[in-house]
Amino acid sequence: MTPWIALPAVLPLLAAAASVLVGRSRTAQRIIGLGTLTALLGLAVRLLIETDRNDVMTTQAGGWVAPLGITFVADRLSAIMLLVAIGMFLAVLVYAIGQGDEEARHVGFHPVYLTLVAGVCMAFLTGDLFNLFVAFEVLLVSSYVLLTLGGRLAQVRAGTTYVVISLLASITFLMSLGLLYRATGTVNLADLPAAMEALDPELRRVFLLLFLGVFGIKAAIFPLFFWLPDSYPNAPTAITAVFAGLLTKVGVYAMIRIQTTIGPDDTVVGTVLLVVAALTMVIGVFGAISQQEIKRILSFHAVSQIGYMVFGLGLLTVAGLAAAILYIAQYIVVKTTLFLTGGLVERASGTGHLDRVDGMLRTRPLLGMLFLLPALSLAGVPPLSGFVGKFALVDAGVSSKSWVLVGVSLAVSIMTLLSMNKIWAGAFMGEPTANAEATSPLPTAMVVATGVLVAVSIGIALGAGPIYAYAERAAETLLPLAGSSAP
Amino acid sequence: MKRSVIVDVTARLILPSALLFALHLLLSGHDRPGGGFVGGLVAGATIALIFVAGGMDDVRSVVPVRPWTILGGGLAVAASVATVPILLGNPVMDNWKLSMDLPLLGDAKISSALVFDIGVAAVVIGTIFMVFEAFGDEEPPEFRGEVRPAPGSGQRPEVES
Amino acid sequence: MIATLSLHLAIGIGILLAAPVLRRWAAPLAAVPSLASLAFALTIAPDVLDGEPWTATFTWVPGLDLSVDLFVDGLGLVMILLVSGIGLAIAAYSGSYFAPNATAARTAGLLVLFAGAMLGLVTAEHVVILYLFWELTSILSWLLIGQRHTDPAARAAATHALVLTGSGGLALLGGLVILAREAGTWSVVELLTDPPGGTAAGVGLGLVVLGIVTKSAQYPFHAWLPGAMVAPTPVSAYLHSATMVKAGIYLALRLAPAFVHLDAWQPVVLTIGLLTMVAGGLRAIRQDDLKLLLAFGTVSQLGFLFVLSGSGFEYATIAGVTLLIAHALFKATLFLVVGIVDHQAHTRDRHELLDLRLGTGWGPVRVCAVLTAASMAGVPLMAGFIAKEEAYAAFVYEGGAVGVIGLVGIVTGSVLTMAYSLRFAAVFWRQSDRDDADVTPPSWTFGAPVYVLTALTIAIGLVPAPIIGDLVDVASGDLLGREVAGELALWHGINTALVLSVLTIAAGVLLWRLTDPFVRLTGRAAPPIDGYRAFQIGLEGLFTLARVTTTRIQTGSLPRYIAIILMVVVGGPALVAVATTSLPDLADPLDVPVQLALAGLIAGAALATIFVPRRLGAVVVLGGVGYGMAGLFVAQGAPDLALTQFAIETLTIVAFVLVLRQLPARFSRSDDRAGQLRRMGAAAVVGVGAFVLVLAVSGTDPTTPASDLAVTQAVPEAEGRNIVNVILVDFRGLDTLGEIAVLLVAAVGVTTLARVGRRPPRTGVPPLPEIDPLDPATIDKDART
Repeated sequence: MTPWIALPAVLPLLAAAASVLVGRSRTAQRIIGLGTLTALLGLAVRLLIETDRNDVMTTQAGGWVAPLGITFVADRLSAIMLLVAIGMFLAVLVYAIGQGDEEARHVGFHPVYLTLVAGVCMAFLTGDLFNLFVAFEVLLVSSYVLLTLGGRLAQVRAGTTYVVISLLASITFLMSLGLLYRATGTVNLADLPAAMEALDPELRRVFLLLFLGVFGIKAAIFPLFFWLPDSYPNAPTAITAVFAGLLTKVGVYAMIRIQTTIGPDDTVVGTVLLVVAALTMVIGVFGAISQQEIKRILSFHAVSQIGYMVFGLGLLTVAGLAAAILYIAQYIVVKTTLFLTGGLVERASGTGHLDRVDGMLRTRPLLGMLFLLPALSLAGVPPLSGFVGKFALVDAGVSSKSWVLVGVSLAVSIMTLLSMNKIWAGAFMGEPTANAEATSPLPTAMVVATGVLVAVSIGIALGAGPIYAYAERAAETLLPLAGSSAP
Repeated sequence: MKRSVIVDVTARLILPSALLFALHLLLSGHDRPGGGFVGGLVAGATIALIFVAGGMDDVRSVVPVRPWTILGGGLAVAASVATVPILLGNPVMDNWKLSMDLPLLGDAKISSALVFDIGVAAVVIGTIFMVFEAFGDEEPPEFRGEVRPAPGSGQRPEVES
Repeated sequence: MIATLSLHLAIGIGILLAAPVLRRWAAPLAAVPSLASLAFALTIAPDVLDGEPWTATFTWVPGLDLSVDLFVDGLGLVMILLVSGIGLAIAAYSGSYFAPNATAARTAGLLVLFAGAMLGLVTAEHVVILYLFWELTSILSWLLIGQRHTDPAARAAATHALVLTGSGGLALLGGLVILAREAGTWSVVELLTDPPGGTAAGVGLGLVVLGIVTKSAQYPFHAWLPGAMVAPTPVSAYLHSATMVKAGIYLALRLAPAFVHLDAWQPVVLTIGLLTMVAGGLRAIRQDDLKLLLAFGTVSQLGFLFVLSGSGFEYATIAGVTLLIAHALFKATLFLVVGIVDHQAHTRDRHELLDLRLGTGWGPVRVCAVLTAASMAGVPLMAGFIAKEEAYAAFVYEGGAVGVIGLVGIVTGSVLTMAYSLRFAAVFWRQSDRDDADVTPPSWTFGAPVYVLTALTIAIGLVPAPIIGDLVDVASGDLLGREVAGELALWHGINTALVLSVLTIAAGVLLWRLTDPFVRLTGRAAPPIDGYRAFQIGLEGLFTLARVTTTRIQTGSLPRYIAIILMVVVGGPALVAVATTSLPDLADPLDVPVQLALAGLIAGAALATIFVPRRLGAVVVLGGVGYGMAGLFVAQGAPDLALTQFAIETLTIVAFVLVLRQLPARFSRSDDRAGQLRRMGAAAVVGVGAFVLVLAVSGTDPTTPASDLAVTQAVPEAEGRNIVNVILVDFRGLDTLGEIAVLLVAAVGVTTLARVGRRPPRTGVPPLPEIDPLDPATIDKDART
């Protein structure tokens, strides 16, 4: 029992409460927010190291035995997700503080941001499906409020789509939990495999599909992704960055958990996932190349890239899962960075619309570099982190002889590159337009936060060896059976 | 808003007993039907009652603290019950009990569950209060065909700084 | 080598970052990595020439067997010398060509990075690392073409090059991974020593050839290369003639000996190569822009090189390596000459240049231009002649159908080459006699790289054996896996090849004389669309497909989204349940009369909600659902839950009333009957689906549900007799903590949203959105709002 692993789930809530109480002082709120996230970062690093030593660490809330009490579980997958997530939260908070806007104007920004952190951390650490539901609620409501914090009509409108569909997801999640509890008498993930043994394999599959669908809404897979491109682009930049970078990946994380828990060898469902993965990739990238606005392009890519992760999961092999984990980790960094850079472009030129901004390369070459590296990484250009992730996936796909998926993922890569080229040619090349000409310096905190993330993604590429090894060990813990049968 | 004498008097009569009932629900919840959530709801309902009787100004004069403080304080209490045990090396939200022999009152038990429940009740009350603060102030001008600054907007909670 | 690569990376990035400061110093700095690389090449040259390849390895991702394995054999040495030697010349030349500004400095930085990528490519021993550097050269080429980014043509050309070479690169990756899997090794050398066979390997090889063909601008994927000529001339000289486009040739040279035994190999290579050589030549003759003439000439020569390097014959391989060297030298020189002319005379047009006078001070450049063009044409005494002579001899020696077809093809191509070379050279020997047409001559330093490269061309042309003889022999020998002796020489005696050379030159001169009628004649036979146009059409098609698909799927209609999502998430599993599991029978309704009545109340209230026209009425009826639920809780013996549910329902109605003051009293009704039917259908599917799912689990019987534990532990362990409360605050207190956090956040959200409604309306925009606020069919909504 290692009680401290639950700390990331509750500490941000305490901090949120404190942040509410000091609401009149923005400085105090900033200190609380940055301090909490820094502390959590330290915890996450420790978790990363200790889970690698112990495989799995658990603690029972209140000391109550499972399945009565809530179990918190940390394995390598939780640890790596937690570390990346908290790193992003910290960087984005710095960026948001530099940006001002909602962060400076609204007393509620910091508390809600912290509850979002709590929801995400809880989702990564809980070993209990009902608690996962609660975590989803926390992050759903927080994200909804953050989305509409600016109080602009477009945001409220986008928020409506977001919240209605998220509530549907919650209702179906709750319904599924009720059914699951009725059938097995437990919602504890660790108990599920054994409890499921008593059920017919067909019923097990029904449950698996049900939960994959519920989490699939959150993850924005095809055909459940509609809400994402309609809502994310309207949020404040810093918020969109966290949403697109992180929140959908919580859904993918949950998909990985449920698949490896109750259907690690269900190849039928695996095949369904592969088909979904291919469609998600293609439809998402199609959306991206038909947009004219940076945040919208990036939002559709957020859909497309989910396909790659589901691809890795659907293979149901250690190699596929390890590739998916590596892909998720690097993607969160890259995508967050891209949105932050998009925000910098908007900040510098007043618009993110490609028809209205030109020539940023001449006026702000550094910004060009901050965009180019993550953009190329997203498209999987070597030797950046996206390439390592994509190569791992392709290699796993070839091992499993999933030729169609390999082909689709390569074709989608080139379309991704095409749409990145579109932003590059649209916003950065050309004669500077009047609005790009204005050269008031960008807030240092925004640029530094973005720059640090670019450096992190390069670091992931350079350190891909140990990171992949870690992801592989994580996958072996998740798929112990497949691991032993591998050559 | 026009005041109704009947409602006004009824509200004043019911108020103390309603609050006492809420407190009872809160404190006895561990053994009998009740608990922090429903206790908070009943207390929140009294806010609704005061609102119906006298509008937001009455509510503000009856409740001495701002909704933000109630909300934040409630969450702080509840989250502390969860967090502090970890810092002491115990499981998250570890339960504890204190029995005290108080003069006059006799045996009093305080448990972590009760403290937590108080936090829950505070958050529920704060949320209801907040909803009234947000929507209860006055009828929105645009549906009466005129646009004027919201009365009493200066006293509205600190949303913007 | 790793140090050399790192030096390229460091200096390249350093120049890019410090571009505004460096300006004039960027060019000299850019020369440093090339010098280092040349020095490295010279130190390992003795061993390599002795047949001892140089190797190094650097671990990257062991779990994926990714390591940066490098090796340098004879061909690698040739490529390093070319890449770095010409890189040095380009760096020197750039100093004079560009104005000393930040953009020029950035170009220099990108060129250094490119040189590094190219060196990595030609030394990679791991197939994935090979791809890695291959793709890097594509990306850097894209950035370099786009350097003149204010020019729309440059942007279009950059996109074109990126998409074509990028796609080719991915095909290459796919192909290489398949080949490597089949061969069971990632090592390039091992893969080629023991090449895999079978269908999968065939597919893999096909993909690799696709990569080669796009990179080396073979027909029908050649069009990006002439387009890339919008890049600054030093870039064109370096990337698009001397080095990058040779990457495909390099790979073809390596692959050919291993795969030439496949039936399809030679026909494919010969068809593509000869087509490219002849078609490129035909296009080159027609050009008036000297740079485009050279560009199409490059396409043609790349076809020639592909034929030679891919044919797998011993002498053709030797000829291929020789031509690789000769072509790099003469094509780089010619581009640099065009750059000088362009820079001084501000035109590259043949006609305009013929009206100008390259007089005093232009002598050396003019001589070099004509001599180097002669090398391109394959005139004796020049390096190009040595290579072409070797190529003729190879196909003469090989004989058979392949030999004859190949020979006819390359002779035809060479005749065209002779003709366009003359056309190019003519600009430099014919001169206008107008006095006012003098063009300022270039400085000595500007011309220096041209003079040096021309000297090399002549030297190799005169005495090839001492200069490159060993190098070519070792490189070819390493490729073929046996000792070879190319016996490169200016004079082999009178033989078939020499006769063919003489005939080629004569026919070329004749064709040049008849250029105009010939161009008119072939113009009529030209295909209706060129490669660039075809690419544009393809791209447009892709965009249209994407747009149409997206508009269809992302309609912006929330009811539609809801229907699809629910039908998939609930209906899907329910369908599987119906199809695969055996559903238990329904319970007898008479056993549960109270529940049945309450269920009826709930269902009735839910249905009524839909039909109530007023919002307030709907809220009240909806309350009926909640009270019905509370009743169910009472019936099941859970007074706590019922109490909470009653309180919640009541407060919800109050809250609704508050909010409804800000909304119209009645719902807006839709007249869309079909849509209503569709939505009813979807709702029915989801409702029945949920029912089926409940039914499916009703037959299960869990042994020890968690609630049993709760019942047994509540009093003794948690000291609470109200199990519900004990669960809420103790057993599962963390859930409650999360939920009250939700309440707090919701409170924040409520205040924010309330403000939206309170704001004075701007231009008649409704204060709060309707539930279905999204305008359908708007992908680009922000343009409207």
